[in-house]
Amino acid sequence: MTKLYNDPADFRAELIEGFVAAYSRLVKRVPNASGVMAVDAPQPGKVALVIGGGSGHYPAFCGYVGPGLATAAVMGNIFSAPSAEQVYRVTQAVTGEAGVLYCYGNYSGDVLNFDMAELRCQDEGIDARTVCVTDDVASAPRGQEDERRGIAGDFFVFKIAGASAARGERLDEVERLARKANQRTRSFGVAFAGCTLPGQTAPLFTVAPGKMELGLGVHGEPGVQSSHMRPAREVADLLLATLLSDAPAGGGASVAVLLNGLGSTHYEELFVLYKDIHRRLLAEGLQPTQPIVAEMVTSLDMAGCSLTLCWLDDELTPLLNAPCASAAYTNA
Amino acid sequence: MKDAEKDAERVVRRWLTYALESMVAHEQELGLLDAAAGDGDHGATMVRGLRAAHAAAKAANGSAGDLLVVAGAAFADAGGGASGALLGALITTVGRGLGDGPYDLTTTTTALQAGLATITRLGKAHPGDKTLIDALQPFVDALTAQPADQPLIVAWRAALPAAVAGVAATQTMVAKRGRAAKLGERSQGHPDPGAVSLTYLLQAMSAVWDENYPS
Repeated sequence: MTKLYNDPADFRAELIEGFVAAYSRLVKRVPNASGVMAVDAPQPGKVALVIGGGSGHYPAFCGYVGPGLATAAVMGNIFSAPSAEQVYRVTQAVTGEAGVLYCYGNYSGDVLNFDMAELRCQDEGIDARTVCVTDDVASAPRGQEDERRGIAGDFFVFKIAGASAARGERLDEVERLARKANQRTRSFGVAFAGCTLPGQTAPLFTVAPGKMELGLGVHGEPGVQSSHMRPAREVADLLLATLLSDAPAGGGASVAVLLNGLGSTHYEELFVLYKDIHRRLLAEGLQPTQPIVAEMVTSLDMAGCSLTLCWLDDELTPLLNAPCASAAYTNA
Repeated sequence: MKDAEKDAERVVRRWLTYALESMVAHEQELGLLDAAAGDGDHGATMVRGLRAAHAAAKAANGSAGDLLVVAGAAFADAGGGASGALLGALITTVGRGLGDGPYDLTTTTTALQAGLATITRLGKAHPGDKTLIDALQPFVDALTAQPADQPLIVAWRAALPAAVAGVAATQTMVAKRGRAAKLGERSQGHPDPGAVSLTYLLQAMSAVWDENYPS
């Protein structure tokens, strides 16, 4: 349950204020808008990478803002897409002649509002493009990859696009690489307990004792299938087997790995799980590159985790390894 | 300004007050409906959006149409999410259509048809997809079917049951749009919260007239 808040209606505004106060070495507030931007923004000669979505998923999305990663994040209310007006204002604050790439998880509210902002920018002569992240294999079958929603795979797509933008590459190229990273990224998750919104006393959904929900949504959308609780090594097998059976065409042997905690699953538990994931990846002939075991896309206090793989190649690997600094992830 | 126009302006302000009161009263119910196959924030979104819409109209001057344009923009910005964007666009489009009046059955029906077209285009939803369209489309159709010389109030009251029936029909539908769509069959068994809240908005308009012109 969310315990620390004042007026639930002020939750977003107060968290932005606190976040900027804590990380002023990396970010600053976008004036008159619900968002934050990197300390070194705007850089008119470089493509702006604007990410965003509802709050409640920290470090998504403000935690990814900083030099070498996202230029700015537009922050909606808890589990609610930011309005088109806010997307537009943040874009205005950080975008120069090189244009802007919008990158966010594929949810209808985000698509609607970012698309409306994109149209408005294009009408004003700003080159604005969009790449939606669609990594969650549980949300649509193979062949309908474009309809999948975006979960923890957001991070790899943002990282690769942000590194390309930081290298000073043109919008066409930043967009192409973001699209390529998305096409090669897959995630799947399990939930053990639902989350509770600020001001609410009951969780959004519950998982029966001794059970786990497969294919969770990060907004507490119930899973698509229920299963009995299993030992960590079997959960590792299940997550990995699901992703490997959905591996993208042309994927090589090197994979970026993110084992993501959803809010109230301990890091220690994640490491226990990762031990088996790592072993199995090697056994499958896959080489984990810069694995991350951390909370990267949470769902308030939800219990559970997701596994993300991004199949790398010679083009994506240097972008993943490029330096960046943000509240959630720093690569020296 | 003519009396009829002043009256329309008063009706819009009153409608925003009633709509906000109705949404506050139903916030919990809408949240629970949304939690069945979504994230449970629909009631909160509606209240937040209408509070902003109400405040924006209060601070604005102009015709009934102008007030709706301002209210719709404020609703979209404060509401956020898909609901904020769609309902905001609906209110703004209706406001633009009504303009400086006259405010009769013909102009209102035309404005609502334009609003329906806008949100259908933006949301890419069709009747039967279990969205607010499933309440709005039957209502607009019922309004369109009323005799053209009918007073707007009478026609509106006569068309309302179509929206209510539309909501009831969403109960057995499987969601095809939005986050609920990812749950397939699990969305069945509950009416669509967006269709429910839209009907409250339509009923709030009726309540304004009931207060001034009891049937």
